[in-house]
Amino acid sequence: MIVAENVEKRFGDALVLKRVNLRVEPGEVVTILGASGSGKSTLIRCINGLETLSGGKITVDGHDVSTKAGLVAARRASATVFQLFNLYPHMTALRNITLAPIEVLKLPKAEAEARARALLDKVGLGAHADAYPQQLSGGQRQRVGICRALAMQPRYLLLDEVTSALDPEMTGDVLRILAELAADGTTMVFVTHEIEFARHISSRIVFLEQGELIVDLPTAQFFAEDGGLAVRRIRQFLSKMKKD
Amino acid sequence: MRYADFTPYDIVLLLQGLGVTLALFVGTTLIGLAIGLLLAVVHHYRVPGCRPVIVLVTEALKNSPVLVQLFLVFFGIPAFLHIRMTPVEAATLTLSLNTAAFAFVVFRSGIESIDRDQIEAAQVFGLTRSQILRLVIAPQAAAFSVGPLIGILVNQLQVTSLISVIGVFDLTKIGNILNLRTLQPFIVWAVIGLIYYLAAKTLAHAGGRIEAALRKSVKWGGI
Repeated sequence: MIVAENVEKRFGDALVLKRVNLRVEPGEVVTILGASGSGKSTLIRCINGLETLSGGKITVDGHDVSTKAGLVAARRASATVFQLFNLYPHMTALRNITLAPIEVLKLPKAEAEARARALLDKVGLGAHADAYPQQLSGGQRQRVGICRALAMQPRYLLLDEVTSALDPEMTGDVLRILAELAADGTTMVFVTHEIEFARHISSRIVFLEQGELIVDLPTAQFFAEDGGLAVRRIRQFLSKMKKD
Repeated sequence: MRYADFTPYDIVLLLQGLGVTLALFVGTTLIGLAIGLLLAVVHHYRVPGCRPVIVLVTEALKNSPVLVQLFLVFFGIPAFLHIRMTPVEAATLTLSLNTAAFAFVVFRSGIESIDRDQIEAAQVFGLTRSQILRLVIAPQAAAFSVGPLIGILVNQLQVTSLISVIGVFDLTKIGNILNLRTLQPFIVWAVIGLIYYLAAKTLAHAGGRIEAALRKSVKWGGI
């Protein structure tokens, strides 16, 4: 379980996260919605330890990310897929995926590669194992990014606007893979602007507004007239996103 | 045959001088690259208190004449610390540090050329600092650094000629001796210059081949 309690994050004078509380149970798909700059990505970056907290506490399966040992264990339990893929450009797709399993999980190379090839096959990139990121399209790179995360067999998948840098067609490819993962019961924390998709796969939706988590509802209720839509700010946000 | 004539033995002298020049060049290059790399890594990890010191020292080394540095090391330090220093020791120390200062700048930009994004990815996947340095940063920084380093080393090879002034019997010092004996400065210095030229060209050529081989093996197009 991922638990965020009264999380605060400050960048200089700006308070980017204000007393955010969030729980993600195994098996859930929790989508974080909110306008740009509302703190969605920062929250993900606090969970995977790329930002240090200014206040509050985050634990992943009981491991406190603010302690050194806790962060190591928390990072072992989760894996992140990034908006801009963040692949290692000097390594092939296969090596991008096997690097951490070999170096961190200490898997034998043959086993790590077999696992990586199986993942690449699953996302339709079986023929591209030896391609370098530069030789792949954005959608293909992001699928490699997803394989890289899955190769760690994480309990929690953290997805930080993973389709924002992709065109609609590539977005479709990536979302199909995520939908399959969700159907398989993969726990996900999903920051996105793909509202219809979020509605389709999420068990819960939370809404961030200027660093405050103002709504946390099961998906059906979030989109209900007397639920999330009753909140003026969410109604505005959703209708604006539809127009775009 | 007059004492002032050129003799076949002069070729042996020249080769000895060239040998001293190359030996000092190779030695100080290896020491300098190692120190430069170490400084760049320490700088990258923001070891407390080290950054300003490294920047100050390397800036001082890059922005003052090597000849002055050589005099400071050969005359100044022994007088100040009451120690003895041979010309070769002083030359080795000065040239090593000088190469280190320039190599530091190249390695630092090599490291800084790497997207922060990839390092963050490696961090969240649990790689340790040394694994990230070895597997993510080093290969890319090395590919980035080869070209500029070759340029610096070709220049450092010429700079070694300054050590003749403090009495190291390098190629330039041999030239000086031959010149005083034969009183034929045009021929002597033309030959000495040609030897430096050939050595530098050979070095640049070898470096170019290393770079080309790296480019070929590095298919990702990062350099």
